[in-house]
Amino acid sequence: MKKIRKFASAHKLNATKVLLICVFAALVLIPLVRMLTNINGESLKSVLSQESFLSLISNSLVATALSTLTVLILAYVLAICVERTNIKGKEILNILLVLPMLIPSISHGMGLVVMFGNNGLITRILGFGGNIYGLQGIILGSVMYAFPVAYLMIADVLKYQDCSPYQAADILGIPKWRQFTSITLPYLRKPLISVTLAVFTMIITDYGVPLMVGGMYKTLPVVLYQEIIGQLNFEKGSVYGLILLIPAVIGFIFDVLNKDKGNSTFVSGKMLIKKNKLRDGAAYIFCGCICFFLMLPIIVFGILAFSKRYPSDISFTIKNISDALRLNAGTYMLNSVKIAILVAVIGVVLAFVTAYLTSRAKTKMSKALHLFAITSAAVPGVVLGLSYILTFKGSFIYGTLAILIMANIIHFISSPYLMMYNSLSKLNENLENVGKTIGVSRFRIIIDVIIPQCKLTLMEMFSYFFVNSMMTISAVSFLSTTKTKPVALMINQFEAQMQLEEAAVVSLAILLVNLLIKGIVALIKKISTKKKVSVFTEEAM
Amino acid sequence: METKQPKLIVKDLKKIYEDKCALNSVSFDVKEGEFLSILGPSGCGKTTILRILIGLLDATSGTIIKDGVDITNAPASSRGMGIVFQNYALFENMTVLGNVEYALKIRKETKAVARERALSMIERMGLSEHINKKPGELSGGQQQRVAIARTMILNPEIILFDEPMSALDVATRISLRKEIKDIQKEFGTTMIYITHDQEEAFAMSDRLMVMKEANIEQIDTPENIIDHPANEYVQSFVIDNLQAKINSLVKYLR
Ligand SMILES: Nc1ncnc2c1ncn2[C@@H]1O[C@H](COP(=O)(O)OP(=O)(O)O)[C@@H](O)[C@H]1O
Ligand SMILES: [Mg+2]
Repeated sequence: MKKIRKFASAHKLNATKVLLICVFAALVLIPLVRMLTNINGESLKSVLSQESFLSLISNSLVATALSTLTVLILAYVLAICVERTNIKGKEILNILLVLPMLIPSISHGMGLVVMFGNNGLITRILGFGGNIYGLQGIILGSVMYAFPVAYLMIADVLKYQDCSPYQAADILGIPKWRQFTSITLPYLRKPLISVTLAVFTMIITDYGVPLMVGGMYKTLPVVLYQEIIGQLNFEKGSVYGLILLIPAVIGFIFDVLNKDKGNSTFVSGKMLIKKNKLRDGAAYIFCGCICFFLMLPIIVFGILAFSKRYPSDISFTIKNISDALRLNAGTYMLNSVKIAILVAVIGVVLAFVTAYLTSRAKTKMSKALHLFAITSAAVPGVVLGLSYILTFKGSFIYGTLAILIMANIIHFISSPYLMMYNSLSKLNENLENVGKTIGVSRFRIIIDVIIPQCKLTLMEMFSYFFVNSMMTISAVSFLSTTKTKPVALMINQFEAQMQLEEAAVVSLAILLVNLLIKGIVALIKKISTKKKVSVFTEEAM
Repeated sequence: METKQPKLIVKDLKKIYEDKCALNSVSFDVKEGEFLSILGPSGCGKTTILRILIGLLDATSGTIIKDGVDITNAPASSRGMGIVFQNYALFENMTVLGNVEYALKIRKETKAVARERALSMIERMGLSEHINKKPGELSGGQQQRVAIARTMILNPEIILFDEPMSALDVATRISLRKEIKDIQKEFGTTMIYITHDQEEAFAMSDRLMVMKEANIEQIDTPENIIDHPANEYVQSFVIDNLQAKINSLVKYLR
C-alpha cells in the first residue's frame, strides 16, 4: 500500500515532465516541422536559382561578422575601462548602457535614419552623410542594438576574474602582452565564445535594423519578412526560414558544447587597480564616446517626439503625442502591456515548474526536458512566427492575443529558465528530503522554502519576459492582426508613412514602460538585499 | 539490557543503483539508546544505509524492523526517526525559531504549543540569543545546532547523522561532540552516526561499524576493535589512521 503511494508521487512528477515535453514539442518542434514540410522543389529552386541568392547569403554573413567583431572589440575595451580603471560614475554608466536594451532593434535603425538619413539632423548640421543606407548602416545599427548585451556579459566575466595569476606574473617580470596572451585569453576563451555566439545569433536573425537602413543591401531576415508580409509567399518564406535556421542552430549547438565542457574557475582575490591618471583619462573619453553614440537614438527621439515638423521646424510641441494617440497608439500600447504581463506571468510559472523538475526532481527524463526548454533559443523569432502562421492558421487561436503570448513565451523562455535552473541548483539538495522526514510535502516545501529563496530570480525572470515582449518585433509581426497588434510594430508603419515624430513617440513610450518595470524590480531588489532576505542576488543571464 | 530486543534490526539490506552495487546484503542491529558509528571510506555505502533506514530511498531487497514492527515500506515521516545532514539543509529564508517550529506548525499543533516547545528546544541547544537570526548569520556550529533542534523537536526515537561535522573546525567539533552525547543521554535517543573520522568514532560510540565497499567488515565496541581487529583492512584503515589522527590532534592542542 505504502509503496504504491510512493510510486504514485514519483509518477506524478514524471507525468508532469512528459506533459511539459509534449508542450514544448507541440510549440517548437511541430511548427518547425510544419514549416519544413511547406518547402517544395519549386520554391527551393526559385530561391536557390535567383541571381541574388549568393549575394544575399554573403550580405548576411558579412554584415553580421563585421558587426559582431566591432561589438566584441568595443565591448571588451569598455568592460576593461569600467572593471580595470579607477574611473568614477560606473553605476551611472551601467544604468545608461541598459537603456538601449529597452527599445526595439527597429528603433535603433530608425534613429540612424533620423540622424544620418538624407534629411537627417546630423546630416543637415554637419553637412555630410545621407549615405547611411547599406552595409555601413546595418553595422552601425546592429552595434547599437547588440552592444549592451555583449558589454554586460564581458564585464561580468572580468569582474569575477582572479587577480593572483597577474600578481605572480608581475613578480616574475612577465611583460604585459605576454600576460594577455597566456593568462587573459585562456581565461576569456569560453565566455568570449559564448558572447560571440549570442551576439552573432542576435544580429543575423534581426530584421529591424536592416529593414530600416539596409537600403539595397538585403539580408536574409529582411527578405523573409518581405516575402511573408509583402508577397504572402509562404513557400519561399519557408525556404528562407530554413536557411536562417541553419546558423542559429549551429550557434546554439556550439554554445551548448562550449558550456558543457566544465566551467571556469571562480573568484578569489579582487583585482588590484593601480593609480594611473592617464589611463583613467583615456577611459573617461572612451566611455563618454560610447555612451554618447549609444544614447544618440534616444536623445534624437526626445527631440523628435516634441518637434513641430521635423526636419524643418523643431520647436517644442506635444501635438505628436496626441497624434500618436489618435492613430491608436494608446490601444496598441495597451495590447503590448497586456501581452507583456501575461507572457511574464505565464512564462515565469512555466519556466519555474520546468526548472524545478529538471534541477530538483532529477530523473532520466529531466535531461530531455532540459534540452527542450533551452532549444527554443535556437529558433529565430521570424522563423518561429512563420512556422506558427503555417501551423495555427485557421485554428481558433489564430488572430487572438493568445497566439502572440504563446509565441513570445516560447521565444523567450530559454534565458529565464536557465536563470531559475541555476538558482535552484544552488539551493541545498536535501530541502525536500528534510520535508519528507518531518512530514511536510514537496509542494509545501516549494511554497514555504524554495520560492521565498528564489524571489529575486523570479523577479528578474518577470522583468526579462516583460521587457522582451514589449520590444519584440519578430515573431509577432506575422501573427498579429490590426486588433491584436503590439505597439512596437507601429514604429515600422509610422516610419513607412514618414511619420517619424509619432514613431519617436512610440519608441520613447516603450522605453518608459520598460524603464518603469526595470526600476520597480531594481527597487524591490535593493530593499530586500538590504534586509538580507535572500542569499541569491545576481544570477547570470 | 542484553536480553531486551534490539531497537532496530536490519536484515540482508541490498541496494543496487542501475548496475552498481552500493550495499551487498548487510545485516546489523542497534540497541535502544545506543550510539552506533558507521566508519568507512567515501563511496562505501554509508549514506545509502541511512537513506534507506529513514525511508528516503527504497532498498533493492531486505527488511528493516523497528521495535518488532516491519517498517521497510513505511513513509519516512512515520518511522520515528530524524536525520541531520552534512550541510545542514536549513531553511535559509526562515529564522532559527521558524526553522525549529516549522514541522510542528505544519503538523497542526496549536501556535502556542508549537512556539513554547520550539523555544524550550532552542534554549536546550544554547541558541536563545540567536532566535531571530537567519541561518546565514550563524557560524557552522550554530547552524548544525539548529539542524539538530529542528530534528529533535519531533521527539524522534532514533536520530541519524550523516557526517554532521565534516564542514566544521576542530574546536567546534569537539564541543558539538559533547553536546550530541549529552542529548543522547538526556533523552535516551538511539543514534546512528556516520563519520569518516576514526578519532571521532572512537570517542563517541558505544559500538562501531566498519565498512568497506558495500560490506560490513566488523561491528563491535571500540575496545574490542582495537584489541581484536577482524582483518588486515580494519587494522590499517581504523587503527593506523586513528593513531595518526591522535598524533595530529595532540599537536593541534599544543
Ligand atoms: N543515485 C545514485 N546513482 C548511482 N550510484 C549512486 C547513487 N548514489 C550513490 N551511488 C554510488 O553508490 C556508492 C555508495 O554511495 P554512498 O552511500 O553515498 O557512499 P558514502 O556515503 O559511503 O560516501 C558510491 O559508489 C556512489 O557512487
Ligand atoms: Mg556519504
